[in-house]
Amino acid sequence: MRQSVRSAGVRRFAAVCLASAVVLVSAAPAAAASAPVYVPVLVPLTGFLSLEGTSQRNGAMLALGLAPTEAGVHAEVFDTGTSPEGAVTALERVIGRDDVVAIAASMLGTQMLAMRPLAEAYRVPLITVSGTASVTGPDTRYVFRFFPADPVAKRAHARYVVETRGFRRPALITQTTAYGQSGRAHLLEAFRSLGAEVVADEVIDPTVRDMLPVLTRVAAGGPDVLVLHLHAGSTALVIRQARAIGRTWPIVAGSAMHQPSTAALLAPEELAGVCAETASSPISEDRPGMAAFVAEYRARFDSEPDAFALGQYDGMNMVLDAILGGARTAEAVRAALAEGTHRGLAMTYRSDGTGNMAHTVAIICYDGTSRRPRVVARAGDPVAPPDPTGPAEPVAPTEAAERTDVADAPPGR
Amino acid sequence: MAQLLVNGLALGAAYALVALGFVLIVNATGAVNFAQGDLVVAGGFLAVAAAPLVPVPALVLVPAVAALMAVIGLVLSLVAYLPLSRRPPVAVFISTIAAGLILENGVLVLFGPAPRSAPPLIGGGVVELGGLVVARQSLAIIGVAVALIAGQQLLFHRTQLGRWLRATAQDAEIARACGIPVVSMVLLTFALAAAYAGTAGLLLANQFFITPSDGGDLMLRAYIAVTIGGWGSVGGAVAGAVLIAVFETVVAARLGHPVATGLLYGVVLVILAVRPRGLFGEAAGRRA
Repeated sequence: MRQSVRSAGVRRFAAVCLASAVVLVSAAPAAAASAPVYVPVLVPLTGFLSLEGTSQRNGAMLALGLAPTEAGVHAEVFDTGTSPEGAVTALERVIGRDDVVAIAASMLGTQMLAMRPLAEAYRVPLITVSGTASVTGPDTRYVFRFFPADPVAKRAHARYVVETRGFRRPALITQTTAYGQSGRAHLLEAFRSLGAEVVADEVIDPTVRDMLPVLTRVAAGGPDVLVLHLHAGSTALVIRQARAIGRTWPIVAGSAMHQPSTAALLAPEELAGVCAETASSPISEDRPGMAAFVAEYRARFDSEPDAFALGQYDGMNMVLDAILGGARTAEAVRAALAEGTHRGLAMTYRSDGTGNMAHTVAIICYDGTSRRPRVVARAGDPVAPPDPTGPAEPVAPTEAAERTDVADAPPGR
Repeated sequence: MAQLLVNGLALGAAYALVALGFVLIVNATGAVNFAQGDLVVAGGFLAVAAAPLVPVPALVLVPAVAALMAVIGLVLSLVAYLPLSRRPPVAVFISTIAAGLILENGVLVLFGPAPRSAPPLIGGGVVELGGLVVARQSLAIIGVAVALIAGQQLLFHRTQLGRWLRATAQDAEIARACGIPVVSMVLLTFALAAAYAGTAGLLLANQFFITPSDGGDLMLRAYIAVTIGGWGSVGGAVAGAVLIAVFETVVAARLGHPVATGLLYGVVLVILAVRPRGLFGEAAGRRA
């Protein structure tokens, strides 16, 4: 009896071992193919850059949320605040994990500069939409920027002002932040090389509320155009207060002006004569893929998407393409980003060898009747001729659909 | 220059309301309310929220916003001051910082991170006064702020309630011995301070927009205004606030914002060196 019990136990144990072995063997390839990977999203959700940071988060989470289950991606959001220490602390929490393959990282230049050495040391790619020039460079291998860097964006900004619109006496207002000063340096250099005389060069802190002093100083220079490179709130304040005191200068602003939330602060008539550079303007385009992206974004986040959201969305989709293509480690994802090409919704992305993936700049203009801007030119394309009657005609939906540098699949895979 | 001065006065008037609430609490409790800037933000967003529900000029909203903010002020005192009033001052500093962060993040969750604009007090546009083009909103801000500061002065100097408030501010123990309900006076002071801060938020939110993260910056301005004017001095706080605004407008127009900001803090250092109690200050005890 005891023997029969023992032999039954041995048989049961053998059967369990056999079954386990079968399960292990059959599961091994599947586990290797679908071992979950981790993609944290570290963006500023509080502080002065929370608006842009929220766009970044939304774009990243929209892409990751639509990823197929076989990608096996686990995403998590962390608020970096706006201090470099906050960003580094958030990064240190996640970067040591074995399963992290890429990180959506803050668009704030000072935070990226603080995070970059850690990413290089741990060899984990950071995916960002920061415009600050020094975020990428010859020694950078693990930072990938899905937004035009300042050397590209500000050159296009200045060319539109001088070559397309024919202005020769720009007045420049920039912000004291790293973002503002990086843009200022490139704008001044671009204007100098284009032969334009910068008649005013004003720098303001993001906390400045009354813009009359800076407008007074600008007016003394006798400018023919106002060029802004400011954060969203300051951009809207300058435009509102300039219009309030009867200054009708044409205004060509930085990318903050393309954000629907910035335009929402101003009356359509205050926006007359206002243009801006940006990577894209999702709400301006009617292409099916873009329209589907905008609809999905609105449905999920109850807000309007901007170029930061779209840039981060495109960037995360390039990461997802790499993961679905078999890149299951940070190094493999880095290699795919460094060497691959991605047809995103905004543009086609490809590294220039230093992690700069975005090379197209759009110019948008408001016509004074609505808050929906029109894309009037794209850098790289022939710049639109000057139009004395106002902004150029909008990009027609059919024409937009025929763009060959962009994907046009609706969100989802 | 006159136009700059009017703008400076408008900005200074709004800052003065912030600083006034700040100094009222300092006087009544000896504590620094680090949530004052976030109360301004809360008032601004209350106006933003009320605007679509009650489509009237913001001037009509002032009493409602002030009343709601007074309730928030009462809650603030019950949560962040009274339970800690017998603890070292640093406990209250920390508790008001915590309350401010809760307010800031509450606004962020409810309204999102984007800057928002409240309706104008009496309508937008400009008026021409003797060849001077002035924004109607600037004049309205000055008018409302002057009326509220005058109201505070009347309350404090012409009513029995005001005498009790002043007595509590001067010496709470003696006031209690005289039968004055000190705790009620402290609660009322917090309510008044929050009402002033909230109204300042409403005044600022149209012309200058408002974002959830503005509180820290506004708090710093109130602190500097009180330091310039003198701890404990209502008039000094108002004067300090106007001085800050003049630097931000008139001096900035001459020398640029970075230089004007540097000069302002240079002046603060000189005042601290020459008159440590501020321009109109009373002898200060243990304060941060």
